[in-house]
Amino acid sequence: MTLIATRPDPGEARPYTFPDLQRVTVAGGTVIGAHLPGQALASAMLLLDAGAARESAGREGTATVLAKSLEEGTAERDSAAYAIALESLGAELSPGVDWDTFRVGVSAPVPQLLDAVRLAAEAVRTPRLDPADVNRVRDDEVTALRMDWAQPGPRADAALRADLFGAAERFGRPMHGDPASVAAVEVDDVLAFHRAWLRRPGVLLVAGDLGTLDLKALGEAAFAGTEGEPLAVEPPLGVPLRAERKIILVDRPGSVQSTLRIGHRAPERATPDYVAMTLAATVLGGAFTSRLNHLIREVKGYTYGIRGSYAMSRRFGRFEVAAGVQTAVTVPAIVDTLGEIARTEQTGVTEDELAVARSWRAGQLSVEMQTPGSIVGALSTLVVHGLPDDYYETLRRQYLETTLAEVSAAAGAHLRPHGLTLVIEGDAAVIRDELVAAEIGDVVDSEI
Amino acid sequence: MTSPSAPVVATGYPWPIETTRLDNGLRVVVSEDRTAPVVCVNLWYDVGSRHEPAGQTGFAHLFEHLMFEGSQHVAKTEHMRLVQGNGGSLNATTNPDRTNYFETMPAEHLELALWLEADRMGGLVPALTQETLDNQREVVKNERRQRYENVPYGDAWLRLLALLYPEGHPYHHATIGSMEDLNAAGLDTFKAFHQQYYAPNNAVLTVAGDASPAEVFALAEKYFGGLEPVASIPSAPSAHLPGPATAPARETVTAAVPAPRLYLAHRTHQFGTAGYDAITVLAAVLGNGRGSRLYQRLADGARIAQPDYIGSYGVDLAHAPAPLIITATAKDGVSVETLEEGLNEVIAGLVTEPVTPEELSRAKALLTTAWWRQVSTVGGRADTLSRYATQFGDPGVAGYRLPQWLAVTADDVTDAAKYALKPESRVTLTYLPENGESA
Repeated sequence: MTLIATRPDPGEARPYTFPDLQRVTVAGGTVIGAHLPGQALASAMLLLDAGAARESAGREGTATVLAKSLEEGTAERDSAAYAIALESLGAELSPGVDWDTFRVGVSAPVPQLLDAVRLAAEAVRTPRLDPADVNRVRDDEVTALRMDWAQPGPRADAALRADLFGAAERFGRPMHGDPASVAAVEVDDVLAFHRAWLRRPGVLLVAGDLGTLDLKALGEAAFAGTEGEPLAVEPPLGVPLRAERKIILVDRPGSVQSTLRIGHRAPERATPDYVAMTLAATVLGGAFTSRLNHLIREVKGYTYGIRGSYAMSRRFGRFEVAAGVQTAVTVPAIVDTLGEIARTEQTGVTEDELAVARSWRAGQLSVEMQTPGSIVGALSTLVVHGLPDDYYETLRRQYLETTLAEVSAAAGAHLRPHGLTLVIEGDAAVIRDELVAAEIGDVVDSEI
Repeated sequence: MTSPSAPVVATGYPWPIETTRLDNGLRVVVSEDRTAPVVCVNLWYDVGSRHEPAGQTGFAHLFEHLMFEGSQHVAKTEHMRLVQGNGGSLNATTNPDRTNYFETMPAEHLELALWLEADRMGGLVPALTQETLDNQREVVKNERRQRYENVPYGDAWLRLLALLYPEGHPYHHATIGSMEDLNAAGLDTFKAFHQQYYAPNNAVLTVAGDASPAEVFALAEKYFGGLEPVASIPSAPSAHLPGPATAPARETVTAAVPAPRLYLAHRTHQFGTAGYDAITVLAAVLGNGRGSRLYQRLADGARIAQPDYIGSYGVDLAHAPAPLIITATAKDGVSVETLEEGLNEVIAGLVTEPVTPEELSRAKALLTTAWWRQVSTVGGRADTLSRYATQFGDPGVAGYRLPQWLAVTADDVTDAAKYALKPESRVTLTYLPENGESA
């Protein structure tokens, strides 16, 4: 048996390019198209400045109920006729809500995209929103949330969010609401949200073969009958931090794993440290060979996987480590996790680790951006965060050129091991005593 | 609006396909596409959990984990570091039929990916240690906890397989295996497993993307050409089954679940047959999308099923009649009996109420989009070609799947329902909440 012992050198790299972009202003809105020659499918996304942040207090989940009500019939046709018309194009609607936006995506074979966008616009601009339908969708959404919250994770996420951002604040409540807040959503809330935010033009993002697709016609379909000016972006929330660690225990009797959600607040997406922070988090908990995954999975065998990252929206950011660990090793897994966060904060990263992080992040910009859907997602980042058309070329260069000193400085500035909130969702009767005895922080029981 | 009609396509694979076979039996498939500077290297080994003897369930999958832990010239942790550290994405999966390994890389690292794959195909055993096995055993046990034990309804697939396939059948047990068997896994067994199955003549290597056939064939020869074939590779236990079950099977599980849920399942046809193409279209008519019969009649119409949790799908297994699974979750206040009656009625209707042209056209349009989505990345394309080369001896057969779906008629769907979905061949798995809530 003969194996080649020597690792081969790389070949010559082809230059990185992001697809060519075209912009069309039509019918009061903007279309941004990315040219993907030869793709059989095309994707479009209507991006509206109508995120969950615009919901009223106590009615969190209003936008999600609206998103799920859009396909319950339109001014033109009932829900069954709508579903059959859309799906006969090979298309399905994917409406979604995040902190910053309300987005409605649709994919179809290139020749069908225009009709699919017409139908998407019909649902977004002129939904029937019959009160009986909205009430039923609301009730179904309460049930769906109850189903979701029976899984490990959502309750821990809610407990962490409430502690970091304040249970009384919109950003301290779950993005899609909780079973109680969705149950409180009234038909009038849904109608008002639609009236206020979904009749504005927004931006239409398109990725596909622009040799065939007609961006002007797509824009006319998306923006017909809309009005309103772009909305001002509100200022960032700042980065208040805990003075001491806090442990929140979420009881899940009989759980064979403990679900960990460990985090603190961080700057918003526009921070000048974005690239350095991303690289630091990649070394700590992003790559497979990251410090956390190496120690907790590959050395200790405590978990199937552990991840640490920064998540950033327009107004706030958050550092978070997430994992499911075997119940019996909950405390040692937490101690090791805290150790790696503290080590990274204090001593930064090494050149070898950073080399992996740089190349991985840069390479992912081509490896993970092959499909119309992924390109539309990339375009949405440009729009939401006001980034230039050549942003991905710039980002790639920044990933490759950010220095060790800059990345280690970002780790030192944006990791706060002593200000962490640790949420542990698991079998409280089994893990509580050991958790208290470990003296990691004060242990309180969650009210969620 | 244009009138909806399923597009006619001549092939589902409009990219070039070139193949060769090395002297040691390794089949090499290349599909060149210069659109983006990325390339995917994909290997299918014709070994899955169907090859596992009693007492060794979960071994094929645990072995897959060991393939990432270093080989003769690749130190422990280096495999992942080299792929990600050169910009790539990678993973591997094991199912009853086969094990696949794949990495998509910036194109200049094609040779690195081939070197890594060759080294673990030919040189895993010298690097395999007890420490590595013990660690990955714990990782896999945590995977089992996370995906099957710690989530409501998480063990449904494990239970369905045991109900669908008789004791001793290679699909009877699930790929994740049992905790007992995983605990008993010994190092020598894995060394023998590698020597038996991880041979060039038991694998297909596909490269899709920014590389030419000539370049790939030369590199394949360079890195894999020196590996010895294995003379006699043990075949899996016989998977022959006469067809659908002849008696119904039923299991009711009372567990920590938030609502009553039903899984109805049938053995149908093998993946790759005309019969299974009809089942694929049937599954889309029945349970894919808001326009499907299940959604229209039970979620939207009778409103007895939760709209987010209703559907039907085939599991594409190629070595025995593959499962069709139909699932629905009761709305608040709806009994599981009412839900089951509703499901049974909709399923029976596939025979008594012929599928309309509109229903057929809708299903085919959704399948068309799903197909093009699957082959929209070099990774999806490479995996598809490896599958068809492994299971049907010819990667070019991949191009026929979509046209064959589009050729399925309403009568084909009715015949498939008559053959495979009889009540007397049905597996019914019921989950009930522990506290009796909602029932």
